[in-house]
Amino acid sequence: MEINLDYSRLLKEARAIRPAAGTPTLRIALLGDCALQQFLPLLRALFCRASFLAEIHEGGFDGTEFAALNPESALYRFEPDVIVLLNAVQCLRDKYYLRPGDASDFANETLSRMTRVWDSIRRHSSAQIIQSNFAAPIERIYGNYDLKVASSLPASVARLNLRISEEARSRSFVLVNDVEHLASWVGRKDWFDERFWTLAKSFCAPELLPLVAKNIVDIILSTRGRAVKCVILDLDNTLWGGIIGDDGPQGIQISAHGEGEEFHRLQCFLRELKNRGILLAVCSKNEHANAIAPFEQNPGMVLKLSDITVFVANWDNKAANIERIRQALNIGFDSMVFLDDNPFERNLVRDMLPEVIVPELPDDPSDYVKAISALNLFETSTRAAEDTQRTEFYRVEAQRQIAEATAASFEEFLQSLEMKIEVERFVPEQLSRIAQLLQRSNQFNLTTHRYTHAHCEAMMNDTEYCLPLSASLSDRFGDHGLIAIVVARPDVVAGSLEITDWLMSCRVLTRGVEEYLMNRIVEEAHRRGLGRVRGEFIPTSKNGMVKDFFARFGFEKAREDADGRTEWALETAAYTPRHVFLQRVGDISSIGA
Amino acid sequence: MLGTYMTSDIEGRVNEVFQIVFDDLDLMVGRQTTAKDVEDWDSLTHINLIVAVEKEFKIRFTTAEVTNLKNVGELIDAILRKIG
Repeated sequence: MEINLDYSRLLKEARAIRPAAGTPTLRIALLGDCALQQFLPLLRALFCRASFLAEIHEGGFDGTEFAALNPESALYRFEPDVIVLLNAVQCLRDKYYLRPGDASDFANETLSRMTRVWDSIRRHSSAQIIQSNFAAPIERIYGNYDLKVASSLPASVARLNLRISEEARSRSFVLVNDVEHLASWVGRKDWFDERFWTLAKSFCAPELLPLVAKNIVDIILSTRGRAVKCVILDLDNTLWGGIIGDDGPQGIQISAHGEGEEFHRLQCFLRELKNRGILLAVCSKNEHANAIAPFEQNPGMVLKLSDITVFVANWDNKAANIERIRQALNIGFDSMVFLDDNPFERNLVRDMLPEVIVPELPDDPSDYVKAISALNLFETSTRAAEDTQRTEFYRVEAQRQIAEATAASFEEFLQSLEMKIEVERFVPEQLSRIAQLLQRSNQFNLTTHRYTHAHCEAMMNDTEYCLPLSASLSDRFGDHGLIAIVVARPDVVAGSLEITDWLMSCRVLTRGVEEYLMNRIVEEAHRRGLGRVRGEFIPTSKNGMVKDFFARFGFEKAREDADGRTEWALETAAYTPRHVFLQRVGDISSIGA
Repeated sequence: MLGTYMTSDIEGRVNEVFQIVFDDLDLMVGRQTTAKDVEDWDSLTHINLIVAVEKEFKIRFTTAEVTNLKNVGELIDAILRKIG
């Protein structure tokens, strides 16, 4: 996997964009105190690579506050999905130099102007805000002593960056574009090109603008279904040094100090990813008994068998094994990263499974983590309490599959699960998980609207016109957590309940959850005196599995567009509730308005 | 009017940079060519042009040089001064 970020190459790509009909569009407003025009072709080209069409509104130079504070501004008329705020440290430096008094309040005042912009945007728009932080400046007035002088420019910028992070933590609608990371990664003496700041207010050296654009695009795509969900690991010379079949479980190199320290460090990094909610799988050409031995016997191993969701060790080709892992987890190839020290295996997987992300690994294992980090593969825009349990969810799922295999019939299996389901209106404590599911679900997703946290909150509060429901499932093996979202809107005039969104985690398919939810939706329409339920299906490249969802429940197709969109309607009187093995938790009235 | 077409090696390389930056493989510039003569040569593409020329010849212009270049001839002279 190589990401070409050559400046002139991207400009050329931008000129060649010819979007196919039906390419999903993103409306992006770009505001800042630097040259914004330069970013437009770069953002367009990078979004085009990800199969999105970017409609970009370019704010006036240094016009962020004007646009954000005025509800009538062109910014809000544009109705952006995302508002990108870029603040250059060069501009901050000018303001610092020209400050009227002393600089003791400079950072605080700058911060309060920023948060005022964010909070004003929040009042007038549901757009996601992406705020840049500051590259540390190159000027030193006191030398190292700068950091001991709270009012110095370097100390002010350091404090400001810290405060930006803190303020963003308490606002789910603000994500941080970590420009300081990019500048340090490249090196600040190359990052800053003062000639182009002087001449054109260029945010950084022009050849490095693509890095900033990529960072912005990575963040936005993470709000639009792009997420790495699983890292697949080779073992010999990837996860440890040496060959387990030759060296034995105690002979391989893996220890916190001394031989194999670089592998130890990689395993620590992977364990952090796993704790964050990214699944780990093993795909190794080995005898299974040999492959698992170090996990059980070598005390230097950081990763334990319980950290690995799917463990495949055999002599089949790796593409076939990755397909098995994909089936076991029910996730897309494009959400899988494959790490292998062997270029032959990497190329084979790239060839046979081009969607799988296969980073080029350097020859020296000491550089693995650096090479992986450089790609920024693990971007996310949400974090939910359930993330930490994800490995456990899948592990328990494996036990269910064993139960299924041993049950006399599928019905008996479902019955034996003793499933309990709770359906309720969106509640504040669940909004993070709800927004996450909306942003990550690609396959079982009827309309793929990517609502922001702010949108979800607005739906939650709209008790008159919106019925936003979430469902949580548990059974005798354990908790599945919040696994389905259905949003319906009563239309009293038309006498119908309109299903605008329906999505589910693929962990819980074929358990009867969708049947249960449809029963509840029809019941709810009845209760409100609405004689009809209507629904829509919007095709994407990934949601083919639910193309016939409404037909399954006896809906009639009311309309079909050339782009494959379909509309469906069901007379509630004609609906026979589906038989399910789910027990209701909570009160039916909990979902009513 | 484009004036005299370039023939020397440096001039040929400069012309290729123009063709890439302005995405026009038929573009021919000469010493007398100015921003007015080339479609899309604005302040933004000027920066792209300078970045591309610097990369091609592994040189670095000063701010004043970037600002004061009046035509392609002056650009070529500036390149020659730096690599000469």
